[in-house]
Amino acid sequence: MLTDPETPSSEAGHPKLAPAIFVTGKGGVGKTTVAAGIAMAAAESDGGAVFVEFGDGSAGKRALGDKPRNLSHVAIRPAQAVLSAAAPLFGSATLAKLALGNFAMRPLIQAAPAIRELAVLELARQVAHKHQGRRVVIDMPATGHSIAWLRVAQQGRDLTGKGPIHDLCDRLTRELLQPGRASIVVVTLPERLVLHETLSLCRALEQQVGLPVDRLVVNRVPAMPSPEAVSDAHGLAARDDAIGVAARRLSELLAVRQSVWSQVVDSLRESVGQDASGLTLLPQAPADPSATTVAAWLRSSGAA
Amino acid sequence: MSDPEVIVCAGGGGVGKTTASAALALALARRGRRALIVSIDPARRLADAMGVALDGQARLVSLETPERQLYGLMPDPRRAMRTFIEILFENQPEALTRLLDNRLYQVLEDAVPGIHELVAMTLAARAVAAHGIEVVIIDTAPSRYALDFVQYPGRLAKLLGGRAVGWLARIAQRAQGPEERSSKTSASRVERLLAWVLGPVVTDVAGLFAEMALVREPFVALNEQTSHLLLGPATRYVVVAAPTEAAEADARFLVDQLAKLTTTGARALVLNGALSPDRVFRDILLDAPQTTAAMRAVLGDLDQEWASRAESVQAISDALARRYPALPQIRLPHVERADPRGIVEALALAFDVELGRLGLG
Repeated sequence: MLTDPETPSSEAGHPKLAPAIFVTGKGGVGKTTVAAGIAMAAAESDGGAVFVEFGDGSAGKRALGDKPRNLSHVAIRPAQAVLSAAAPLFGSATLAKLALGNFAMRPLIQAAPAIRELAVLELARQVAHKHQGRRVVIDMPATGHSIAWLRVAQQGRDLTGKGPIHDLCDRLTRELLQPGRASIVVVTLPERLVLHETLSLCRALEQQVGLPVDRLVVNRVPAMPSPEAVSDAHGLAARDDAIGVAARRLSELLAVRQSVWSQVVDSLRESVGQDASGLTLLPQAPADPSATTVAAWLRSSGAA
Repeated sequence: MSDPEVIVCAGGGGVGKTTASAALALALARRGRRALIVSIDPARRLADAMGVALDGQARLVSLETPERQLYGLMPDPRRAMRTFIEILFENQPEALTRLLDNRLYQVLEDAVPGIHELVAMTLAARAVAAHGIEVVIIDTAPSRYALDFVQYPGRLAKLLGGRAVGWLARIAQRAQGPEERSSKTSASRVERLLAWVLGPVVTDVAGLFAEMALVREPFVALNEQTSHLLLGPATRYVVVAAPTEAAEADARFLVDQLAKLTTTGARALVLNGALSPDRVFRDILLDAPQTTAAMRAVLGDLDQEWASRAESVQAISDALARRYPALPQIRLPHVERADPRGIVEALALAFDVELGRLGLG
C-alpha cells in the first residue's frame, strides 16, 4: 500500500500536485519535455523523483539529458508489459506464458485494446509503490485515447465483477488513479482547434475518470512583438526607396507575428475564460528547450 | 479503373506534417492529378490547413475545374469504432443490435487502437471509387507508432480470421455454461486458467466473439483493401521532419521502421521549415540610419532565430544524409503567415519543383 498522500494545498492559484503525476497530451505538443521538466523540478525540490515512460527509453533519455542522480528513469516496454503484469495473476511467469502465449491468446493480446494499457498502468503502479515518498512523473503515450487509458482500470473492475483481473483493476483504481494519489497535467498548444479539443478532454477526464486536471500547460506560446518596433517599421515602410521596401518586409513579418499572437490570446481567452488557475504558459523557443529550461519555467510560474 | 497512386506521409509530432501533406496534395492537384488528401491525425488540423470544414465524406476542397480537383477526408476518431462496426455489420442488423448491447463492446468502443486508421482507409477506398481519384495522400498520426497500423489490420485478421475466435468463444461458453464443473475435466489447463482469470465477464467475451465470427468475410475483404492501399506496389512513403532534435530522432525511427515494414522503404525525407527567408531586408535596414533602436533590437532577435534554425537544419540534414546517403532530402521554406491556408499555398509552390525527386513529376 502507498502511504497516505499529502493533503493538497492551494498556493498562488496552483494546487499542490499529487505523488503520481500523469502528463498527457496529443503527439507533438512537447509532452515529454514538459514531463521531464516536471520530474527535474520535483527531483530538485523534493530530493528525488522518478520519470516513467512507456517505450524503449530513448525519448526520456533525450529529454532528460544529463539528469541529476536523484532522478530515476524507468522505461516500461509495452510489448513486454502484459507478461510482466500477468505473472502474479497466474501465480508464475511460466503459467502466464503458458496461458497467454498460445495460438489464440497471442493474437488476442496483440490485437485487443485495453489489455496492454492495463498492463503498463499496473507496472506504473508498481513503480510508484516501490518509490513511495518520491514524486513519480508518468509520460503518457501520445494518443487520442488518454481517457480510454485512464478509464481502463475502472471499466475492467466494473466489467469483471470478481476474479484476479477485477482485483488488479480495483487496486489500480484505489492506489493510483484516485484524486490525491494522482494528478493530471495536460500539455497543449496555443491553437484554437487544439485548445478546444484539450478542454473537452479535461472535462471528460473529470467526468469519466474522476480525475480533475490539475495543470493545463500551454506550450510554445509566441512572444508578443515589441509595439515600438511594429510602429517604427510601419512608419519607415511609407518611404519610396529601398529602405521603405525593406521596412515593409519587416513590418509584414511583425504584423504576421502580431496576428498570430492575438489569435493565441483570443483562443486562450475563449477557451479558458477568466479562470486561469492551473494554467501555465511556456514560451516558444527557436530550438527544443532542454528539460532543465522547462523545469526553470515551470518553477518560476509556480506550476512545479 | 486503375489503382490510384498512394503517398503516405509520416512524421513525429510538431513537424508540420499535416500542412506539408496538404501542400503536396495541392501541388499534385495543380498538375492536373485528381487528388484526395486523407488525414488520420487525431488533432484534425487538416480542416484548418485547408480552410474548409471536413468530415468522413470526401469533399472537394479547392481548384474546382474538371481537370484539377482536390478532395479532403478527415473522419472523426471518436466515431471510428462505431463506423467500423456499422460497415462490417451492414448486412447483419440483428447481430449489430446485439453487439451494441454487449458490455465488452461498449468498453472497447472508444479504445481500440488502429480502428480509426482502418476506417479512414476504408472511407478513402470508397472515395477513390466514387470520385475517380488518381492520387491519394495520407497524413498519418503524429507518432513514431503511426505506421503500426499498417500491420494492425493483419493482427486483427489473424485474430478474427483464424481458429482463435472459435476457441475463445468456446472457453468462454464452457466457463459460463451449466457444465462448468464437468468441463474442468475436459478443458485444458490453459482454458481453465483463462476462464478463472477472466471471471464473470466471460459471457460478454463469448458474445463478442460469436458476433465477430459472423463478419469474418467482410472483415477480411476490408482488411485486404486497406493493405492494398497502404502496402501496394503504387504506394510511396515520405518522412517529414523539422529542424529539432526530437524530430530527427523520430525521422530516423520512421525511416528504419519503413525499411522493415515495406518493400520500398522511404522514398524521400521532407525537411519542413528548413529554408530561411530572404535576408536582404535585414542588411538594408541595419545600414539605414533611419532604423530605430526598437527595430534594431527586433532584427537582432530575428538574426539569432535564423542562425539557430539554420544551424539545426544543417546538423539534422548532415546526420540524416550520413545515415541514409541514398535518401533524397527535400527542404521546404520556413513560412510565417497568419492564415494556415496561406502556408499550404506557399509550401505547395515549393513542392511543385520537387515532384520529380518524389517520382511524381
